[in-house]
Order: sequence, then structure tokens, then C-alpha cells
Amino acid sequence: MTGAIPSIALVGNPNAGKSSLFNALTGARQKIANYPGVTVERKAGHASFADGRPLSLIDLPGTYSLTPASLDEAVTRDVVLGKQDGEKRPDALIVVLDAANLDNHLSFALELLALNLPTVVALNMVDLAARDGLTLDAERLSKELGVPVVPTVAVRKRGMAELLAAVDGAIRSHGADEIAAPAEANDASLHQRARTIARAAILSETPVRRWTQRVDNVVLHPVAGMIILLALMFVMFQAVYAAAEAPADFLEGGIGIVQQWVVATFPDNFLRGLVVEGLLAGVGAVVVFLPQILILFLFILLLEASGYMTRAAFLMDGLMGKVGLSGRGFIPLLSSFACAVPGIMATRAIPDEKDRLTTILIAPLMTCSARLPVYALIIAAFIPDTNVGGTPVGLQGLVLFGLYLSGIVGALVVAYVLRRTVAKGAGAGFMMEMPRYQMPRLRDIAIGLWQRAWIFLRRAGTIIAMTTVILWLLLTFPQAPEGESQVEYSVAGRIASGLEVVVAPIGFNHDIALALIPAMAAREVAVSAMATANAIDAGDDEEAMAQSLGERLQGKWSLATALAFLAWFVFAPQCISTIAITRRETNGWKWPMFMVGYLFLLAYAAAGITYWTAVAFGLG
Amino acid sequence: MTALLENLLDRAPLGVMVRIARIDWTAMSEDEGRRLREFGLMEGCEVTPLHRGSIFSRDPLALTVGRMKVIIRARQAAAITVEPAA
Repeated sequence: MTGAIPSIALVGNPNAGKSSLFNALTGARQKIANYPGVTVERKAGHASFADGRPLSLIDLPGTYSLTPASLDEAVTRDVVLGKQDGEKRPDALIVVLDAANLDNHLSFALELLALNLPTVVALNMVDLAARDGLTLDAERLSKELGVPVVPTVAVRKRGMAELLAAVDGAIRSHGADEIAAPAEANDASLHQRARTIARAAILSETPVRRWTQRVDNVVLHPVAGMIILLALMFVMFQAVYAAAEAPADFLEGGIGIVQQWVVATFPDNFLRGLVVEGLLAGVGAVVVFLPQILILFLFILLLEASGYMTRAAFLMDGLMGKVGLSGRGFIPLLSSFACAVPGIMATRAIPDEKDRLTTILIAPLMTCSARLPVYALIIAAFIPDTNVGGTPVGLQGLVLFGLYLSGIVGALVVAYVLRRTVAKGAGAGFMMEMPRYQMPRLRDIAIGLWQRAWIFLRRAGTIIAMTTVILWLLLTFPQAPEGESQVEYSVAGRIASGLEVVVAPIGFNHDIALALIPAMAAREVAVSAMATANAIDAGDDEEAMAQSLGERLQGKWSLATALAFLAWFVFAPQCISTIAITRRETNGWKWPMFMVGYLFLLAYAAAGITYWTAVAFGLG
Repeated sequence: MTALLENLLDRAPLGVMVRIARIDWTAMSEDEGRRLREFGLMEGCEVTPLHRGSIFSRDPLALTVGRMKVIIRARQAAAITVEPAA
């Protein structure tokens, strides 16, 4: 032992409750999910022993053995062997075991014990094991393994002090020269030993609880389960509309009041214009969508935390297998409905390289939350707020559902083509552990939602605010002479007129051409850009300012143009962050360039076909 | 030969516990084989196939091994010969 702060690594199988234990020990705030592979990034935190000496903790990705099958599992091996660049070998290990899954998790524990680092075993989730009728003998287990075993319930912070005391003891009583290299153990004999030890430690056992099995009989049924999955997703998208309406109206009203107050209070000058037309109109138009984004994330977080997500992956595997992907890809793709950036990062858990590449390339086709402001604005303005026939199904929600569906179908077709051309390879495998059902914990969900809200508002305050201000400047200069439209006359207006030549065939007007360029930074900027341009157009006209952006667009666009604009955004790769993360995850510019190219082509074609079809039906 | 085929895990009836008699490790990649063992799927262990994900294909297959529920593909299940559990 050196005088430095001891560093302790948490290691264990996926679903052993490592992240919860890490949170309980450090009080750190991050996401806890129920499916294997979420702990991809390095998570570190601090805690202290009972006498106040500090220690540092790192939470390693869950894995089944020291032989990695994917990138995140390789990190775990490299850290515990001291081979990870920039990471010193941990001074001690806390091996986390799921008490209800002992015979399986013990194999990895035995492999880790062979390293001869100071080690303590956390026998986690003993309460759930007890619920399942399993009584364990921790002392017996400790004797068999030769290291301290501490029963813990991480989510209730039970056993934390005992765990740290045991770690302290293990470090003190351990000679530095004893640390061994990994033993070349035959994995079959390892599993055999694990099972023998588990049998010895289990005092009594009743069969696995039946109710979860009954639930799974329905939820995993190829027909009933699929109907449930589709119904869940449908309810999710309907809720995004129905439940968000009141808070969104409230926000919109609030921003309008602030705008009018600024106009009434300050003299008409450059700064007032920037604040009212640039910042308030532009950023405000995006912030209004916060309630909808939070509702979407609420659903995704609940599905993850309850253990349903892996079930959905199971149901989707058949379909995804047909296009050369695997159910593994479902989790990154569903995350991409919130944002493609964490979605693409989550693909690291996919073992097959070509499978992973294809999943990355189609992730931007999942309708991310940045598209919601665009969709919401256009749908609210152009699709009547009525129900379909006599049903309680809203037409607006249905159109939104259709847009999501178009992205999914598009992604499946693209994946099918890619797997037969540029990402050719053998059929991907799909092997995954199914977590138990768990009641989502209110605190975790609340923390998750808060993090999303914060990221969204920070984006609105930085990238979106900045592009909006730049756009406002480009729209304001040079000043148009009397009688000419300022928006047309400005620098931005002239650039847009150039672009309009290219996009006019697919029904795009000057408004859209103007919005497309700044929207390269982030999709929702399209909304703030149009809001800013319209605010400048309205000038000090009180009546025009009182109109919402949607009402103003209604007067200017045809339905065919609006629909073409929606179709464009199903495919267009307008997001700098996604392009950047793709470059990082594929190690080069080749694949992000490919992605941007194919997506723009698809976007142009989709918008064109939509426009021409709508015009043919007399909607132009 | 037909009798032998019916004893493969991918054809085994759902909800009935069986014992793994033999696994053809050569029918899968080294990584896949290791992951199977990590899940506890080895000669001599008892498993219960429970769900198939699709009515159109035999993929994927969910089964219980001890107290754990795992998902594998039919291709791997086809390499596993099972016999009735005692």
C-alpha cells in the first residue's frame, strides 16, 4: 500500500446491481438501467472509510468473464489487469454478485479471485433473493472463497458501512507482492467449481416465483407481446401530444408576455431587436417543446428501469434478424428516439463489428427528440385537431406516429441494403441475459428526467441561442430600403434564394431554404430560425407579433409543402453532434461522410415524392 | 436421424425442462461458445425453453438456466442436443 488514496474497482456481471451499489457508496448521480451494457463510460466517484480516510471508486462495465466479447467488456479486463492506458491498477476489488443468481455469477468471481488482488465480495440484492425464496449462508460462502462476503441491498443502502470496513481490512492484510497474473483456467472447470460452491452456500430454495413467468408468457408472446409493444409505443406518442399541450401553452404564453414587456419597456434599438426577435423568438420557439421531450424520456426511462426493454429487444429480434441486425441493436435504436448521440455510443455493446456499423448508420433515422419541435410545429399548424372517425385516436398524434414509423421502416430497408453491400458479413448473433422485472424507483427516474431537461435547456442556451443570434444578424443586414422585404433583402435571404433553386422542385419555399442552413447545427434550429425570420418580418406590428409561428406559416405554406418538409426531416442528417460522434465511434471520416450523403439523398427523394404526390391530389 | 433431430434444443417443446446432453462447439464461433458457457449452458445442466420471439421463425429463443433467463438464437440452439430431464 502506498500513501495515495486507495482506488477500488467495482466488478461484476451485467444486472448484478453494480451501478446501484456505486450510487449508494458515492452518492453520485447517474443513470441506472436494467439491461446489460449500459455502463459503457468510465464512472468514478469518491467515498470515505468510517474513520474519514478517502477512497476513490470506479464502476467497471458489467461482463461475464475476463475474456471480452465487446468493447466495453474489454475495458473491464484491461483495468483489472492494469493494462488500461491512463488508469492505474485498482488497489482492491469489490466483486458484485446477484444473490439470486449465485451459481452463474460465481464463475466470474472465481476468475477475479485468481488475480489475488485484495478482494471483497458484495452479495447484492439479498432482499430480492429472499423474495424469490432463496436463503443464503454468507459465512459459508466466505469460507469457500477465502475472502470476506458482505450481504448488501444497494438500492436501500444496506450493508455499505460493512462493505467498506471489509475492503479496508482486505487492503491492510494484503502483501503487495502477492498479486498474480490471471490463471489460465479452463472455463468449464471454473463453472463446475462455481456451481459446487453455490450449492454449498444455498441453505434453502423454493422454485422461481411464478408471477413473473405468467407476465412473460403474455409479454413475450410473439403475437400478444408484439401487440403490447406496439400499443405501448402508440400510447407513448399520443401522450407526447395530449399531456404536453397545457404546459406547452403555458410556456408559450409566458414567452409572449416577456416579449411584449421588452418591446413596451425599452426604446427601439439594435439590442432590443436582438433580444426580442433573435433570442426570445428563436430560443423560445424551441424551449416550448420541453414538456413533450420530457414525456418521451419519461417513457423510455420507465421502460428501461422496469426491465421491459430487454423483452422488447427479444420481440424485435425476429424482425431485426431479417434485415441482418440483431435484437441487441434495439436498445441503441430506441435510445436514438431520444437522441442519436447516446444511441450511437450504446452500440459499443454490440459484439459483431458489421452489425454495429450498420446500427450506427441507421441510428439517425430514429426520430430523435430534436425533430419533435419541427414536427410539433408543422403538425399543429397544418393537421386539424380532430379525431379519426368516431374513435378517441387523435389525427395529430396519428400523423406523428406515422412519421416515427416512416423512420423505422426507412431504417430497416437501409439496414437490409447495407448488410448486403457495404457492411456485408455473417448473420449477427443475439445472446443476452433477461433482467428480472423491477419497480422503477421514483428518485432514479426523477434524476434521469432532470438530466435530460438540463441537457436540452443547455443546448437551447448555447448552440441554438448562438446560431439564432448569428442568423438574426445575417437577416438584419444590410438594411432593406423602404418598401422591400427585409428578410428577402438581407444576407441570409440572398443565400436562401440561392439554395431555393435546388430545393424548389421538392416544394420548398424561401422560408424553408432559409431555415435549412442553420439547422445543420441542430434540427430544432429550423424552428427557431423560422421564428426569428418571421419576427423580423412582423417588425413592430402588434397584431402580427401576437400570432404564433404556426398561425403565420398556415397563411404562407401549402399543405403539400408542409408535408414535404415533414418528410425531409424524417431523413435529413442535420445534426453536427451526430456526425461528430459517428466519426469518433468509427475512427475516421469515411462512415460519417457516407452517412450524411445517403441521408441527404433519401431526404431529397422523400420530400420530392411527398410533394409531387400531394400536388397530384390537389393539395398544392 | 429424424429422432436425433428432434432432440435438438431449437426443436424442443416450450415449457418442458430438458438436460443438455451434448453441445457441438464446432458449430459456433469461439466467442459464442464462451458466452454460452458464461450463461451456464453446458453439458449436464438443465434448461427450460420458454418463449420464441417470432411466429415466422424459430428465432430468438428464451430459456431459463437455473434462476437466470437468457436469450439465444436458433442457430446456437440447433447445436445443442438435449435429453429428457430426470
